[in-house]
Amino acid sequence: MGNENSSFVEIGNHNSVASHGTGAAELPQSQIFPTLLGTLGEHRELTFFHHHIIDLPVILYDKEYGFDLYASIKKMKEAGKYTLSATHKIVKAKNPNESPSLDLSVTSLVCFQWLSMLILILAFFIAGRRARKKTISTPKGIHNLLETIFVFIRDDVVVPNIPDKKVAYKLLPYFVSLFVFILLMNLFGLIPGGHTATGALGTTAGLAITALFVINGTAIRQIGLKNWLKHLLGGAPWYLFFIMVPIEIISLFTKPFALTIRLFANMTAGHVVLLSLVGLIFYLKTFAMAVVAIPFSVFMYALELLVAFLQAFIFTILTAVFTGLAIGEHSEHSEVH
Amino acid sequence: MDQNLANLGAYFGAGIGAAISVVGAGLGIGRLASAALESSARQPEASGDLRTTMIIAAALIEGVALFSCVIAMLLAIK
Repeated sequence: MGNENSSFVEIGNHNSVASHGTGAAELPQSQIFPTLLGTLGEHRELTFFHHHIIDLPVILYDKEYGFDLYASIKKMKEAGKYTLSATHKIVKAKNPNESPSLDLSVTSLVCFQWLSMLILILAFFIAGRRARKKTISTPKGIHNLLETIFVFIRDDVVVPNIPDKKVAYKLLPYFVSLFVFILLMNLFGLIPGGHTATGALGTTAGLAITALFVINGTAIRQIGLKNWLKHLLGGAPWYLFFIMVPIEIISLFTKPFALTIRLFANMTAGHVVLLSLVGLIFYLKTFAMAVVAIPFSVFMYALELLVAFLQAFIFTILTAVFTGLAIGEHSEHSEVH
Repeated sequence: MDQNLANLGAYFGAGIGAAISVVGAGLGIGRLASAALESSARQPEASGDLRTTMIIAAALIEGVALFSCVIAMLLAIK
C-alpha cells in the first residue's frame, strides 16, 4: 500500500493527536494531503483550530480485559494496557497486531453530535414555550424559524407521501427531528473549526437504523404482520417464493444502506474537494495557486451549503416515501396483486 | 513485483470503475433534469411537484453511483 492512499483509510479512523498541532507548512510534501484529510476524521481531543480545548475520554471494551475507561489518550498510554500503533490506531501493548474488540470512545464528532442535540433541545423547548402562550401576534425569532421548518416538513414531505393522515401526523415529530438534526450537523461542518458529524459512517448508519425501524414498524402496525410478510412475496405467485423472498429481504436492507452511504458520501466528498483545493496551495508552494484555488473553493463552499440543506431534505423525504410505500401498497392490495 | 502488479490492477480498476459510474449517473441525472424542465415548461403550475419528484429520483440515481464509488474505494484501500 502506497503512502498516499493511507489518507483514504484515515478519513474513517484518524486518531492522531499530533496532526492538529503542526502547521501544514512544516510538513513534507507527501504528508500534506493525508494531514489535511485527517482533519475530517474522528479525534480524541476537542480542538478549535489549533487550540486544544479538552481531552476526550477513551472507552474500550475487550473480551480479554473487559471495560476500560481512561480520561485521555495520554492516560491510556500511561496505564499500559493499550498503546498507539504507528498509524495512530489503538492496539494492545502486549500484541501490537491486535486492537480492542470494541471502541466506544467519545470522539470529537460525537461531541459535535451532542452539541447539536443540546442546541435543538434548547431551541425546541424555547419555541414550544412561546407557542403555548396564546398570543395573537405573529411568531418571531427562533419560534418563527422552527415553525416554518415544521410546516414545511408537514406539508411538503410527510403528508403528501404518507397516504394515511393519522399515521402521517403521528410520525411527524420523528421526521421533523430527523430533518433539523441532520441539517444542524451538516451546517456545523461549514463553520470554520467545526466538524461534520454526518461525515462519519457511524452517525449516518445510526440514523438509517432508526429509519429502518420506523418504515417497517409503521408498516407492520398498519397492515398487520401477515400482510407485511405477504409483501415479502412482492405480489408474485407462490412458486416464485425462492426468488422473491431473498430479493425483498435484501431490498429491506438496501434502503437504509443507501441512505447511510448517500449522506456520508455527500458530506465527505464536498469537504475532501475543499481541502484538496486549499491543499494544492501548500503542495505547489506558490501564491499563484491561491488565485485559482480560493475563488473555486468559495464556489464549492456555496455548493456545500446547498448540499447540506438538500441532503437533510433528501434523507427525510426518502424515509417518508419508503414509509408511504410500505403502508400504501397494501391499502388496496387484494385485487391488484 | 507481484504485489505491485496487483496494486496497479486494483487502482486501475477503481479509477475506471468510478469513471464509468460517473458517466452513467451523469447521463441519468441529465435525462431526468431535461425531462423535468420540459414538463415544467409545458405545465408551469406543476413545477413544485415536479421538482420534489425530480430530487427524489436524482437521489436514487445518485445512490447507485455512490454504491459504485464505495466499491471503487474498497478496491483502492484494499
